[in-house]
Amino acid sequence: MQKLTFRRGIHPLHGAHEGKLPTRNMPIEDYVSDSVTLIMSMNIGAPAVPCVKKGDQVKVGQVIGQASGFMSVPVHASISGEVTAVEQIPYLGPAPVMAVSIKNDFSDTWVDDLKPLGNVERVDPKLVIPAIRDAGIVGMGGASFPTHVKLTFREGAYCDTIIVNGAECETHLTADHRLMIENSERIVDGLRAVMRALNVEKGVIAIEDNKPEAIAAMEKAATGREGVRVQPMVTKYPQGGEKQLIEAVTGRQVPSGGLPIDVHVVVLNVGTCAAIADAVIDGKPLISRVTTVTGCVREPKNLRLRIGTIAEDAIGKCGGFSETPGKVFFGGAMTGLCLPNISVPTAKSTNGIVAFNEKESRSKDESPCIRCGRCVAACPIGLNPYQIKVAADAGNFELARKLHVNDCILCGSCAYMCPARRWLTPSFKFAKDKLAAEAKAKAAAAKAEQKGGKAQ
Amino acid sequence: MTIVYAGLLLGALGLAFGGLLTFAARKFHVQVDERIEQVKECLGGANCGACGYAGCDAFAAAVVAGKAPVNGCAPAGEKGVRRISEIMGQAAPDTEKMVARVLCQGENGVAMERYAYDGYKSCAVAASLAGGPKDCRFACIGLGDCQDKCKFGAITMANGIAQIDPEKCTACGACVKACPRSVISLLPLSQNIIVRCRNSDTARAARAVCMDACIGCGRCKKECQYEAIIVENGFAHIDHEKCTRCGACAKVCPCGCITIE
Repeated sequence: MQKLTFRRGIHPLHGAHEGKLPTRNMPIEDYVSDSVTLIMSMNIGAPAVPCVKKGDQVKVGQVIGQASGFMSVPVHASISGEVTAVEQIPYLGPAPVMAVSIKNDFSDTWVDDLKPLGNVERVDPKLVIPAIRDAGIVGMGGASFPTHVKLTFREGAYCDTIIVNGAECETHLTADHRLMIENSERIVDGLRAVMRALNVEKGVIAIEDNKPEAIAAMEKAATGREGVRVQPMVTKYPQGGEKQLIEAVTGRQVPSGGLPIDVHVVVLNVGTCAAIADAVIDGKPLISRVTTVTGCVREPKNLRLRIGTIAEDAIGKCGGFSETPGKVFFGGAMTGLCLPNISVPTAKSTNGIVAFNEKESRSKDESPCIRCGRCVAACPIGLNPYQIKVAADAGNFELARKLHVNDCILCGSCAYMCPARRWLTPSFKFAKDKLAAEAKAKAAAAKAEQKGGKAQ
Repeated sequence: MTIVYAGLLLGALGLAFGGLLTFAARKFHVQVDERIEQVKECLGGANCGACGYAGCDAFAAAVVAGKAPVNGCAPAGEKGVRRISEIMGQAAPDTEKMVARVLCQGENGVAMERYAYDGYKSCAVAASLAGGPKDCRFACIGLGDCQDKCKFGAITMANGIAQIDPEKCTACGACVKACPRSVISLLPLSQNIIVRCRNSDTARAARAVCMDACIGCGRCKKECQYEAIIVENGFAHIDHEKCTRCGACAKVCPCGCITIE
């Protein structure tokens, strides 16, 4: 079958191949730690509100944080035991977040009121999306967008293709790869449940060709399933970016500032699909996920971690650090988020815990732009990174906006290719954050004015 | 002979156009208040924009038009304000020279480090990563956003903290706006007794993140005979009008966070 891909992009070869090698043949191991800390803002949108207090006994799957609005999902206890703290903890963002800590009693008792809906081919399609919401499912590829919001379209929009994202283009990570080999049936079940819920006839499972075992396993699982097919992709970064994957598979381009649904496509990560299958078939909420623990650890592994496992515990399960770590981050080397220390808990979107040694994590000083244009050739969106960088560094965010910095997906391809080692991506993130804050302030001011006008 | 004709022709053309330009200059002359130029000469001249106008030219025009106050340009200093007032024929307003002060002493080793930051050199970026590289959420991050914005070279970064030279500082306020932590504040130059901490957490939490944090104990307040100190939001504030600069508070402060310049 013809292998598809998108325009431009990069090949982070040494990172992708060497980084993925230690774990690609490691079967998924279950790991339950002594305690977990579940942060309440595990999704984009409004954080959940804790509904337990210190000293409460909780069971696995019990709701401990209630959704606070449409753009919000509940948080469930991932282990059974006693709640030891409900407090603000520093996390990866600028402000501290609310978190619930639970001490494990290792009895692993589930809540009694699970509502399994049974076989995905016979389930009432209307019940699927509420089940996804109640199970607390968010996009597990990294963005943690609430899945039920993604599957609820605005008036007039329709979907004709669902793409399951098995590209896993990030370096170091093999969690999706292993999941596709070991839980291929579940992924197809999840896809079928969504296809039936949205009345979509076409389901495409897109997998990069550096994972032939996963392609074979998924093809086997997809045989005989209505409308489902496996599509091999060229190995290229950022193939797993939502917009890039849509362009590669369907040839459609998501418009600037638009969403996949504008081109009638929904993209779901393989982990999300498996979680949907668990939620629909067994009625089980999202309480665990596969995470690759690799880098400078003694025994790199793929672990099925309970949500909220402390990074230190997961690293300890892998034999600890093999050398002094310089940097530990959640996610792959291209888009991962650095941890301030290793006592930070994992969230629903943590697909990897990667440790770099001191040599690998040393950052290089930037030098002046030499106008070679490699960043332009690399940008999967088609932006001019060198121009945006100048605008952002000068504090001219309005110019950066005109140069479409808001379409930047922060994949880091430009910075990876830059021979002058310009810090392109961090300045784009900074510009995007500044513009978002400005837009928010403007919207708030407009709202206040409107209110004032009404009062008169 | 040809060269003479050419010379005469060019000379005549020159005279004709010269006459035309002189006529145009007289006829279409725009009346400009010469005070604008005079006022401009008294200003800081850095086009810093701290006055709220597009630059020194725009501010000078606004002063002459009576739209901006004569003391609106902080970098002009006391002398400049006096001269502008003379030009404008007003009494010079009483302006106290202000200076930007860094209200933090959380140097490397004093404020606890949350992580070693090795990224994009910007305080605003560092502040958005896991709450910043120092444990204290009020501390100076020390990557020099203020230094980049200072047009007078008054700010230097030393040992993970900003230091402002009061001699060079013109109190334009650019650093105050640039600081993502609002650590810098404009204070009167004569106010040499300064509370160098803004940690509003509880005493215990503040002390856990910085050796020099104000814990809001109130000993300075008790010591002050002029009721110039209040302890609010967990840290001490000095009322600059009541303060007599006696320095008694600094002597009793157990945390060393009140300093005498």
